[in-house]
Amino acid sequence: MYAAGEHVGASDGDGGAPRRGPRRGCHKTIASCTSSALTRPDQDRRGGGPLLARSRRSAGSFEAKTGKKVVLSFGSSGLLAKQIAEGAPFDLFAAANVSFADDAVKSGRCQADTKRLYARGRIVLWTRRGAPMAASLSDLTSDRFTKIAIANPEHAPYGKAAREALEHAGIWEQVKPKIVFGENVRQALQFAETGNADAAIVALSLAKVTDGEVTEVPEDAHAPLDQAMVVCGTGPRAAVAEDFAAFVGSPEGRAIMNKFGFVLPGEAVK
Amino acid sequence: MSAAPLLLSFQIAIVATAFAAVIGIALGLLLSRPFPGRDLIDVIVTAPIVLPPTVLGYYVLVALGRTSVLGGAFESITGSPIVFTKTGAVVAAFIGALPLTTKSARAALEGVDGRLVLAARTLGAGPLRAFLSVHLPLAARGILAGTMLGFARSLGDFGVTLMVAGNIPGETQTAALAIYDAIQAGRDRDATFMVAFLTLLAAFMLYAITKLTERTDAR
Repeated sequence: MYAAGEHVGASDGDGGAPRRGPRRGCHKTIASCTSSALTRPDQDRRGGGPLLARSRRSAGSFEAKTGKKVVLSFGSSGLLAKQIAEGAPFDLFAAANVSFADDAVKSGRCQADTKRLYARGRIVLWTRRGAPMAASLSDLTSDRFTKIAIANPEHAPYGKAAREALEHAGIWEQVKPKIVFGENVRQALQFAETGNADAAIVALSLAKVTDGEVTEVPEDAHAPLDQAMVVCGTGPRAAVAEDFAAFVGSPEGRAIMNKFGFVLPGEAVK
Repeated sequence: MSAAPLLLSFQIAIVATAFAAVIGIALGLLLSRPFPGRDLIDVIVTAPIVLPPTVLGYYVLVALGRTSVLGGAFESITGSPIVFTKTGAVVAAFIGALPLTTKSARAALEGVDGRLVLAARTLGAGPLRAFLSVHLPLAARGILAGTMLGFARSLGDFGVTLMVAGNIPGETQTAALAIYDAIQAGRDRDATFMVAFLTLLAAFMLYAITKLTERTDAR
């Protein structure tokens, strides 16, 4: 099972707890998890995110090549790391921040020597087409922007980067009353897409595949968003997981990653 | 640190339950008598019990969001939107509570011997007075039980609040959301404290509700 992206059962029917463990119907071959922080909603809202899209593309190519089946599961990095620590049967964990991969290693269920970087995240300022634009972060102090959405900085890496960038620009305290938190970076974007927020600070990979006005935030405005994957578990499935991780790192895998806005230092943003 | 979301949850649940209780009694009274379209209203009021919170959250965003007619009107009058505010959190909690208060109020009002109400009317009481001084007091136990159930439900709303409230500490970050955040951020101690508190409270309220309804049955 490969886990990446959107709510892995964010809530159950009765306002309750996040759902534990793999989803029903998951056949375990390769498991990986990646934060929703990497995902984006499709413009047509029929689902799929950049991470979802690129994961599916990667998984599809890998399956075609090796004949091994990959099952993807998506959730926020923090939650997935927690689930892995509690014994969720994931074989590969792609985290939106290397710290979550480290947490998974610390829990004793993932192997430290398999950790590899797959992207360094970039953030952008996103506004709706036709809505007032922001040429830079400092424009957000203007009255034109009454609500600004970011992912929850407490546990979403892209939200943390967004807060750091606002602090770096010296306007965090000023814009704080306008900030609303998305559960993840996708929800932050959704708030802005639906016009409920006037702007959102989201992942470049999300913005790339969403129709809107995009202003890049300088890379040095926040701590590097290093994203890593790590193999969890042991046995034959872990071997397949290692193959999959190697595939993502191969030139063919990198091309897919780059296409969806996931670049490593040294790779060009297209 | 972890007491603030609990207090906020109480604040929101109290306001939401007050609305849900009053509107629930009115709807319960309405539904206790046959009229065309009664079943349709019953279905609409009951639906939040069975609909996924995402569906309800979506409806609230569409109907009360800042770009909606209602949401826009509210914002131009009050100066603040419904979504991302306490108002939004109250709406979310209210939606969860209303079916429970309405169902209970209807059952309790229907359970009152109609002849007692008629007797009050023959003694000169108007419809309102007969309702307030005879019908409502006789149904009070069941209504109170339903209100407590509604309160318990609104105290714990997660799905709708998550979708419309924006998770703002001190404003819309209720205990249910704070627990979710604490688990994701690895703050197990905070999560455990709030989880234990809400569990004990829920157990106490459910016990009280059972006792209340038991005595109603026995009477």
